[in-house]
Amino acid sequence: MTFRSPRPLIGQCTPFGPAHSDSVTHPPHQRRLVEREQQKLTVARDSSHVKGKMEQHTGAVDFNILLATDSYKVTHYKQYPPNTSKVYSYFECREKRTDSTKLRKVKYDKTVFYGLQYILNKYLKGQVVTPEKIQEAKEVYREHFQDDVFNEKGWNYILEKYKGHLPIEIKAVPEGSVIPRGNVLFTVESTDPECYWLTNWVETILVQSWYPITVATNSREQKKILAKYLMETSGSLVGLEYKLHDFGYRGVSSQETAGIGASAHLVNFKGTDTVAGIGVIKKYYGTKDPVPGYSVPAAEHSTITAWGKDHEKDAFEHIVKQFPSVPVSIVSDSYDIYNACEKIWGEDLRSLIEMRSADAPLLVRPDSGNPLDTVLKVLEILGKKFHPVENSKGYKVLPPYIRVIQGDGVDINTLQEIVEGMKKHRWSIENISFGSGGALLQKLTRDLLNCSFKCSYVVTNGLGVNVFKDPVADPNKRSKKGRLSLHRTPSGDFVTLEEGKGDLEEYGEDLLHTVFRNGKIVKTYTFDEVRDNAKLKESEVKDLLL
Amino acid sequence: MAAQDFNFLLATDSYKITHYKQYPPNVSKVYSYFECRHKKGAQFSEVVFFGLQYLLKKYLAGPVVTEEKIQEAKVFYQMHFKQSVFDEEGWRKVLEKYDGRLPIRIKAVPEGKIVPRGNVLFTVENTDPDFFWLTNFIETMLVQMWYPITVATISREFKKILAKHLKATSGSLEGLDLKLHDFGYRGVSSQESAALGGAAHLVNFCSTDTVAGLLMAQRYYACPMAGFSIPAAEHSTIISWGRSREKDAYECLLDQFPSGPVAVVSDSYDIFKACKHIWGDKLKERVMERSEDSPLIIRPDSGDPAETLIEVIKILEECFGCSLNSVGYKVLPSYLRIIQGDGIDLNSINEILEKLSDEGWSAENVFFGCGSALVQKLNRDTLNCAFKCSYVEANGKGMDVYKQPVTDPSKGSKRGRLCLRRNSDGFIETVERGAGKPEEDMLVTVFENGTIVQEYTLDEIRKAAQLWEDDVSPSQHNKEDGPTLDIHQKHIMNGVH
Repeated sequence: MTFRSPRPLIGQCTPFGPAHSDSVTHPPHQRRLVEREQQKLTVARDSSHVKGKMEQHTGAVDFNILLATDSYKVTHYKQYPPNTSKVYSYFECREKRTDSTKLRKVKYDKTVFYGLQYILNKYLKGQVVTPEKIQEAKEVYREHFQDDVFNEKGWNYILEKYKGHLPIEIKAVPEGSVIPRGNVLFTVESTDPECYWLTNWVETILVQSWYPITVATNSREQKKILAKYLMETSGSLVGLEYKLHDFGYRGVSSQETAGIGASAHLVNFKGTDTVAGIGVIKKYYGTKDPVPGYSVPAAEHSTITAWGKDHEKDAFEHIVKQFPSVPVSIVSDSYDIYNACEKIWGEDLRSLIEMRSADAPLLVRPDSGNPLDTVLKVLEILGKKFHPVENSKGYKVLPPYIRVIQGDGVDINTLQEIVEGMKKHRWSIENISFGSGGALLQKLTRDLLNCSFKCSYVVTNGLGVNVFKDPVADPNKRSKKGRLSLHRTPSGDFVTLEEGKGDLEEYGEDLLHTVFRNGKIVKTYTFDEVRDNAKLKESEVKDLLL
Repeated sequence: MAAQDFNFLLATDSYKITHYKQYPPNVSKVYSYFECRHKKGAQFSEVVFFGLQYLLKKYLAGPVVTEEKIQEAKVFYQMHFKQSVFDEEGWRKVLEKYDGRLPIRIKAVPEGKIVPRGNVLFTVENTDPDFFWLTNFIETMLVQMWYPITVATISREFKKILAKHLKATSGSLEGLDLKLHDFGYRGVSSQESAALGGAAHLVNFCSTDTVAGLLMAQRYYACPMAGFSIPAAEHSTIISWGRSREKDAYECLLDQFPSGPVAVVSDSYDIFKACKHIWGDKLKERVMERSEDSPLIIRPDSGDPAETLIEVIKILEECFGCSLNSVGYKVLPSYLRIIQGDGIDLNSINEILEKLSDEGWSAENVFFGCGSALVQKLNRDTLNCAFKCSYVEANGKGMDVYKQPVTDPSKGSKRGRLCLRRNSDGFIETVERGAGKPEEDMLVTVFENGTIVQEYTLDEIRKAAQLWEDDVSPSQHNKEDGPTLDIHQKHIMNGVH
């Protein structure tokens, strides 16, 4: 949005696209910089061919917190009131006071707090400011703004006084906590009066915690649905943790997202194919179990279709025999799912399937069509070929050596429809498990839970001021005021106290704990603790069954 | 992604670990392809191919297999499956035979190319019969291409809408590539996605606050500085002054950034009062002191986007006046502009621009910022991205393979070895079953046996992805652009497959 002709862009855009010639757009003193960078790039590219992947990763070492923020934040140190010595901000999943959109089936009135520890460990702890990083940022921003707006002095102060450690304090609710919307989840404040501007510099990176929070919350809501129907149709919750398998690796937007999102799903479940999530948990949380998530051998279309259309049966038979003693899932819709269930599984390979055990069932996987209709029809066909029994609750259960897994079109709404439809048709939820990809890890935005980060308190001229926004056009966007704390009332409800009122003893302890201070992580949670905090409480399950 | 930590053997869907046991005996080649499937009534008919070079450089090039990584994977999968299924020997052979480089060939359409839905975009095949299982092992990673492709495509759709309105209401396309600013850094799911999505937007525009995208364009696409930004306020820098000092906060911004544009979010309490009483009255003189090179850009950030914007522009007209441009649309004084960055998506931006022009306002008056609709609110189904096996060789014989589920015909896949070409009518089409001629194939080998053999710069990609004349004004012909706009390109626009 630069308007400064004759500076770049304006007037240099060709009618049908931008002009991008650096020699044209950069004044001479800046051209040198560009050339230097190009040289650097060339070197990096060349070595990458030689050294390969190791050289390619930009990763943690290369990560520059000075370049990991929204551009405009680079200019904010100039904008706070004079003599500001502290900025204090907080993060919440706002409660929607008015909902103009259509009534959602799922209300998401509580959120699972998860993922901050990853961000702190990976990006914020330790010496994150170095002379090289300051220099790099200075050069990038000069080109980016076509001006010297970068706060070099401020960053040098952090480098010198704190050896490059960030002088901020972050207090947060314990990871895994299930907290009603509209409460503070974490607060951030500068600890050095000179670094008032740093609080909101890290907003961009911290707000990305919306993602693990939202995945964990949405996954937990699906767990509630599954728990309810599993309990109603089988009388127990056995196997609940394996009912929703993560199929989302390919459908997320990056490797890093896959790691974060998949780990968030594993807060609630134990089945995953998104290997990256396990790496995140092992590295940033830790578990007592060797791995926090499991999988089973399974076919994909290529391993079936590679046999040719006339050899689908051979493919099925081969794969079933390859994995005799563990569960094996076989996608059966390459050509005709119903024919596959009736003729191949139900007749040609029936005796082979009957030899399998409860520990090593065949999982038939449909992968197209309307999810509910397809599941019901598949169950009906399999029920005719492999005779179901009635369980203690009066619902039909296929023999233990055969199950169904539905992994296409599964989101929280279709999941509800399928389990409800199965119940109506007297099928126990024991017969099925689900896979979810895009809906579990990608079809989510920051708006689902209205995650936002707002400044609520500043100190100017030595005086603390409670601040807030309250836009006339949208009362939902009103923010909290002053210093915040989170408490439990005697009746067990959560309450956020504003304007520093939580300092009074009568409200009991603040549930926000300092997790980060001046570059050090001072409190961590194991993944077992996270899971324990987020587990479905007996009272919740009881409520679901009402 | 931490460099040393990344283990290619752990970057796939678990089940793929078990697939080497599942292919037919004596398979020697698996050949798969990626497409954005055509779907009846789909919103987007063509896609921008972008992002493969990043994936190749970051994750696939060079020796990616080491003995340590094999051991790590072996131990891991043993625990993950609670049994031994990992193909340790197969991977060790990659290490021994190829020094850990992947015996794979990837052919792809050039980055930046605009391709109608339903065509092959890239193909993957093993180059050594021992490693037939490797082709689809990397599916998981390569399918993540859906993301940069989808962002670049959506961003280009924004550009089409903006171009159409800008041309119609100002007579030119000046400033087009600064009209849509990327506000999405905080709203994406990770730093890496921010970089990838941010870079994909920069294929079409030069305006961003997502710094990560700039670094990606530098490091992977040889563009020293791909996008620009300006100083701008956020709510914290306004409200920290206290509610009674909103005017002081605004004045501070004008003082701090006298030369060059500055954007000021003005809805902390009441956007309309801020426009009328602060900008349009108390600070009116200060605003008028600014120039075309250093405008004040007022930013509303709540309420219905179209209604709010119209009301804001009317208030500003009352306070500052306006003039008519050469095509008869109203323009605020050149020292004053508006940026709308809340609630922007493809639908709302069109609605806003239509309302503006209905009320006689030129699109010159406004800029847009877009966050989640640009870089997060999209998924692999937006363009139906899929990767499928279409050809195998077993016992020395080639066979075209495909899936064709009765329960969903749109999931049918292509057959055989594929070639992308322009037919004699100028349409881009995919030739199946190995019937394509190599000399007319638009797919270029970009990766072979661990080495990247073809690279593109962002400049090249931007040129390839430029809007065509038909995108802007279907009925007009602009001779000046003749050389860059051959008959084929026009045809692609109407191409249906």
